[in-house]
Amino acid sequence: MYGRKAFQLVKELASGEKGQLTPYNSDLFDQVTAECSQHHLELQSLIRKIQEEGLDVQTTRNSEHYGSLIHHLSLVRNKRCLMAYVYNRAEIIRSLIWKVGPVLPQEIQERLSHTEEEYFKRHSAALQSYMSRLDLDLTVDMVPPKDPYIQVRVLDDIGVVLSDDKTTNFARHSMHFLKRTDAEQFISRGLMEELTD
Amino acid sequence: MTSESASTPGIDGDYEALISTTDVELLKRAWRNEKAAPEILHFESALIQRIRGQIQLMEETVEEFSGSGIDPLSVSLYQMDLDRTQYLLRSYLRIRLQKIEKYTFHISNNSEVQSRLSGQEKGFARRCNEDLERHLEESVLSKLPDNYRDILKQSLISEENDMVPEPHLDTFVVCKSRRFLGPFQLDGSDELLEMKPDDLCIIHYKSIRERVQEGEIDLV
Amino acid sequence: MAKFYDMDDIITDEEVVSVVFEKAACGVGIDPSSETDSVEVGSKVELPFWLAHELQLRQAVSMNVPTCFNQKTRLEIQADSACVDLRSRCPFFYEFGCKIAPLVGVRTIGPLLLSAFKSRYKEVLTKAHTAAFPAASKHLTILTKEETNLYEAAQSSMTAFKRWRMGGPRFQRASVLGRKRKSTD
Repeated sequence: MYGRKAFQLVKELASGEKGQLTPYNSDLFDQVTAECSQHHLELQSLIRKIQEEGLDVQTTRNSEHYGSLIHHLSLVRNKRCLMAYVYNRAEIIRSLIWKVGPVLPQEIQERLSHTEEEYFKRHSAALQSYMSRLDLDLTVDMVPPKDPYIQVRVLDDIGVVLSDDKTTNFARHSMHFLKRTDAEQFISRGLMEELTD
Repeated sequence: MTSESASTPGIDGDYEALISTTDVELLKRAWRNEKAAPEILHFESALIQRIRGQIQLMEETVEEFSGSGIDPLSVSLYQMDLDRTQYLLRSYLRIRLQKIEKYTFHISNNSEVQSRLSGQEKGFARRCNEDLERHLEESVLSKLPDNYRDILKQSLISEENDMVPEPHLDTFVVCKSRRFLGPFQLDGSDELLEMKPDDLCIIHYKSIRERVQEGEIDLV
Repeated sequence: MAKFYDMDDIITDEEVVSVVFEKAACGVGIDPSSETDSVEVGSKVELPFWLAHELQLRQAVSMNVPTCFNQKTRLEIQADSACVDLRSRCPFFYEFGCKIAPLVGVRTIGPLLLSAFKSRYKEVLTKAHTAAFPAASKHLTILTKEETNLYEAAQSSMTAFKRWRMGGPRFQRASVLGRKRKSTD
């Protein structure tokens, strides 16, 4: 049936876990764009037929007209699915900037198409330029504050970090009492965990 | 929290009136409204400017105190107060950014909505729009037949822009009036509604939209 | 179309309906029973809703009531709405019902949707707040997508409330990063 492949593309993305990116399916995507070109060819040939019979394309309602209508509708449907696939993925990609910061981990980057990588970079830059004009970092303070300081354990070797004129060595398994806003980004990247009693 | 308890006349009422006009309280209200409204609201530019001034002042105070041997408990109380205000400010700005990202096409085609943004937000919205347009063009539109390449119209024969996602104004919100609102007509229906202060109402956003913008009704 | 990019709406539009062609169409491959590439007047063909709807608007086809809203299903729902497996019939039962109702001229679809939703909604909320996970998962398989969303919303707000009451870590690793190490809770 017409449009079935395009539907599968959308279905694949929609049935993934919420907020998670499935690998970009360029294979299926290209099959759908090829289908679009095919619809366009058949649509044009039906319209030529109408013209060859000396009829007015705008007002004729013969079987060629309804045939071309079906090709047109299928093309529009395919376009909607392709656009929705890229658009909804772009939405997830934007949310990644908030969740993991401006550098994507390898495991996620592998699931993006080339243009998606470009989009991620450009959009991060747009956000960065907004925040620097505002002179305020909006990527911290994602959770309503309770205590200004929290206890954390380091999960991975982070090394020496400079903050507030002090240098601290975050060796693996070491525990620290840190400013909430300083710890936040390490935690969301999976490098530290919060300890509670 | 004092401002949340039911108001009684007299001293409590005065206290509440006083506390509900501090800038932090106003920011909290703006933040709640922005959080619950489906569309982007007017940027509170004067308020945000005042808040940022106050934050700077608080930061200086904390720094001064912690350097001058004042007991750590008071310093940490000041710090907590500062943290809360900072969070509200950041969260307010973030919610707005996310709405701008989500409704990029709607905003770039609607000058009324654009007028609700701050100067910096307008700049961000413009770049958002350019980036997303370019991305969709490179990924999809350039691969389609000629008559189907428009980003706002499904095909050449579409009469209007039929591809633009818009905020869902029909959605239900929980809201509370600030003062007595005599029977007024709900937008888009014949029904009359009367609201007493602090009465909670669940209602179509669309029908109280104007009153939220004018500050008569708060969203919760 | 405000919902142009809405994936749930796109999925709903793919539901199959059966139509009868009132106009012939040629140069198309949509009728598997036809040996040529054309559809004759009077042919009965199964089409996805997006195509059937547009063709009906132009009086090229007439739509039949889809199976998930036929007399038999309606009776079943009226008998015991909470136990009927709606998901296998149509994952977006309510959304699709709202789209189809004005097009096929069956007046009972609207009230049917409302009464089914009302009685099932109660069940969904009770289960979301009380049932332990294994017991609930069986119940989940008969819910439509719309109902599953409500169920998940109810459950996540309950979890959030419990977490707030009990305390515990407030900062967490971004869930997009996958789960490489085992949880320490």
